[in-house]
Amino acid sequence: MDYAIETIGLTKIFSDWWGRARVYAVDDLNLQILPNEVFGLLGPNGSGKTSTIKMLLGLLHPTKGHALVLGGDGTHPKISKRIGFLPEESYLYRFLNARETLDFYGRLFGLDSKTREVRIEALLEMVGLTAVASRPVGTYSKGMARRIGLAQALINDPDLLILDEPTTGLDPIGTRQIKDLIARLAERGKTVLLCSHLLADVEDVCHRIAILYGGKIQAQGCVRDLLQQTNKTQILTDVISDAAVSRIRQILSDEHAECEVTAPMERLETFFIKTVVEAQQQARPTSGAVSTTQIGDFLTAGGRQETVLEKLVSTSVSEKTQAAPAKTEAVRPRATVTPEPNKDLLTKLTQTSVRPPTGRVSPTQAIETPTEAPQRETQKSVLDKLTKNDASNPQSTIRHPQSKDGESGHA
Amino acid sequence: MRRIWAVSTNTIRQALRMKVAAVFILLLLVLLPLMGFTATGDGTLKGRLQTFVSYGLSLTSLLLSLLTIIVSIYAITSDIEHRQIYTVVTKPIRRYQIILGKVLGVLVLDLVLLALFAGIVYGVTSLIPRFLNASDEERQDATNEFYTARASLVPPVLDVQKEVVALYNKTKDQLDAFYRNMTREEILKQLTNRIRLEKRAAAVGQMLVWEFHNVRPRDPNQSLFIRFKYDVSVTAPDEQVYGEWRIGDLRQPQQDAGAQIPTRIWRETRKDVVRKFHEVEAPASVVAQDGYLAVGFFNPPGNETVVLFPVEDGLEVLYKADTFTANFVRAALLILCRLMFLACLGALAASFLSFPVAILFCLVIFLTGTISGFIVESFGYMSQNVSTIYTYTVQAVIQLLPQFDKYNPTKFLVPARLLSWGLLGEVALMMVCLKAVLLLALALVIFSFRELAKVVV
Repeated sequence: MDYAIETIGLTKIFSDWWGRARVYAVDDLNLQILPNEVFGLLGPNGSGKTSTIKMLLGLLHPTKGHALVLGGDGTHPKISKRIGFLPEESYLYRFLNARETLDFYGRLFGLDSKTREVRIEALLEMVGLTAVASRPVGTYSKGMARRIGLAQALINDPDLLILDEPTTGLDPIGTRQIKDLIARLAERGKTVLLCSHLLADVEDVCHRIAILYGGKIQAQGCVRDLLQQTNKTQILTDVISDAAVSRIRQILSDEHAECEVTAPMERLETFFIKTVVEAQQQARPTSGAVSTTQIGDFLTAGGRQETVLEKLVSTSVSEKTQAAPAKTEAVRPRATVTPEPNKDLLTKLTQTSVRPPTGRVSPTQAIETPTEAPQRETQKSVLDKLTKNDASNPQSTIRHPQSKDGESGHA
Repeated sequence: MRRIWAVSTNTIRQALRMKVAAVFILLLLVLLPLMGFTATGDGTLKGRLQTFVSYGLSLTSLLLSLLTIIVSIYAITSDIEHRQIYTVVTKPIRRYQIILGKVLGVLVLDLVLLALFAGIVYGVTSLIPRFLNASDEERQDATNEFYTARASLVPPVLDVQKEVVALYNKTKDQLDAFYRNMTREEILKQLTNRIRLEKRAAAVGQMLVWEFHNVRPRDPNQSLFIRFKYDVSVTAPDEQVYGEWRIGDLRQPQQDAGAQIPTRIWRETRKDVVRKFHEVEAPASVVAQDGYLAVGFFNPPGNETVVLFPVEDGLEVLYKADTFTANFVRAALLILCRLMFLACLGALAASFLSFPVAILFCLVIFLTGTISGFIVESFGYMSQNVSTIYTYTVQAVIQLLPQFDKYNPTKFLVPARLLSWGLLGEVALMMVCLKAVLLLALALVIFSFRELAKVVV
């Protein structure tokens, strides 16, 4: 079996000038990352994540052991041609503008000028920096620099993408976008090594993870296997009547099990994205990065492009693509989001929090969640069905707590 | 190559946009034309021109040298310091290509700037006479002694080893008694100097002849010059001596009126102040077809003293061998050699040192290079007294130093001396092909094997 990344007894010992104070940054690490896998490397600060990546790429020399990247030496041009790397901070040349930056990296990959031109435009469009592409990147905010960093990692359409803390400094939309991108790249057969301590990000996209501490792997495996609580069952339904709830309780007490009945909360991420999208649709100006969910065409090229695009449209943030691109020259104070929905949400949130989760189901909860348009539609249709089928027989889905297919994000 | 060039253009952009180069460029653009007006020298046209060329080229050379050192070091160390190198080395480019790209970028920048500033110096130099009210004599002087490239021939240092040893053996007892505290080597040295000087001394009624071969004046209709300095054993009250000069092909039968003389012999009798430089001007046509030229000095009976020509600088033949323009171009190329050396030195320093330390290191080398003559001399003197091991180790290091002072372009342009292609080639070979390439190779090796990431735990 050829691994995309394999380390054999990889060890890095840092010592001071006299050779004292030896610190094991990475200690006898044996990693195997399969091709077409999204692998998450987790760990607290200073646990050896970045040191491992630096050794994979030849920025540090291992004290012992060795690492194979795409079956060879990661520093060899033949191998590094197929790698995209985003370091823990976007270290950019401050004096270049975004377009020149990408052009420089494209030239390092030996891409011809036509390919570079096409890809640079696509990537700038994707990371939403087309409008500010002629500004020196030294004047960019951290999140904007991060976007350019991501764009440079993708310019060669890499087979292996190594991302070190990709979402630091990014707004939730950028974070969401990176997560979508990772998922999409994985669909196209790419391998992604994601290194992060933002657990939510890792949980959302990674197939397998390893948790490092003190340079050693403490736990490793499939995210599903590691997180699944096999001793619990979660039932998710549409709104049902109080009578139905008490009937369910009755059934459960026969099974000698207890249950908790609440209305699911929308994730803050989803809510945030929706709000910004609304603002964007009103064409409010911004001097920052323009949020898009487009993925560079050359990255999605291939037989599955259609499905990818369809998927793209189906994601909650995709509405923004229809939004008129905001003008960036005029920097007017950005209008805040209309307070009404916020207030609504707040009152509703307080209502839920005040209501003790004693098991008494309140019918008001059913309309509490301010869902976005597509979801509301689906819920409506479900409601229609519900009313037809009588509340006593609600359609229900049974899933494990870890299920992660919901873009609407029921917790 | 495309990748190397990508790094090069990036380096040039960096130098220009980070305003490192801009400061130097602005300084030179202002100072050079300004100096054209302010440099007056000794007041004559020639003096003015010499002063301007000397200061103009020295300033260009100095500022471009500093620029080269700073840019070549900054381009590499800032990448490591600010970690842009992380995203560069992880691309399909070899580390040596990165360094080559940086050095190439610096050199392209140097080439363009040198062409620009040397062009300004040249332009101002050729414009100065037009804007000045100079007498025809001054103009003639400037043409003869500035707007030209004169080759210089000096009599070879004679090998008098045998004579010295013979003399020493013959008068050993006498010498040992005279030089009481000296070793044999020191006595021999004294004798050598004495005999060499004797060969360049003319007693009253005696004639000295120097022969030169391979003399190739550019144009036989122009003049050649014998530049000389007298020394005397007895100084006359007016400090002057007579001299009868015969310049030409002295192999011909002289005094034979009937014989056909293929080449004229220039004869001149003159009276000159001793211990000062003078020039005898003779037509270049006195040089024989085969490039042979003899210079004869006859000490006439009117003098009552022995006339000597000091061994170091007593006599020199000068003739126009090339144009001022060609000489100027070669002088600029000489500066380019220096810049190439410094760029490679900067790359080496930056490959393992941080920015301030690397700058310091390079400046020390640069400054010792500009006074290398003094250093070589002082260590040469020292080596007479200290052990041979010390001599070998230190001298080896000194040999590696660049010799900027020895190959200073103004040393050639101010006295209008020919800077031949041969000499330029020699400098290029030593300073660029040998030393600079050695430094660069070392830089490539160090950079290829060092860890680029910082130690972060």
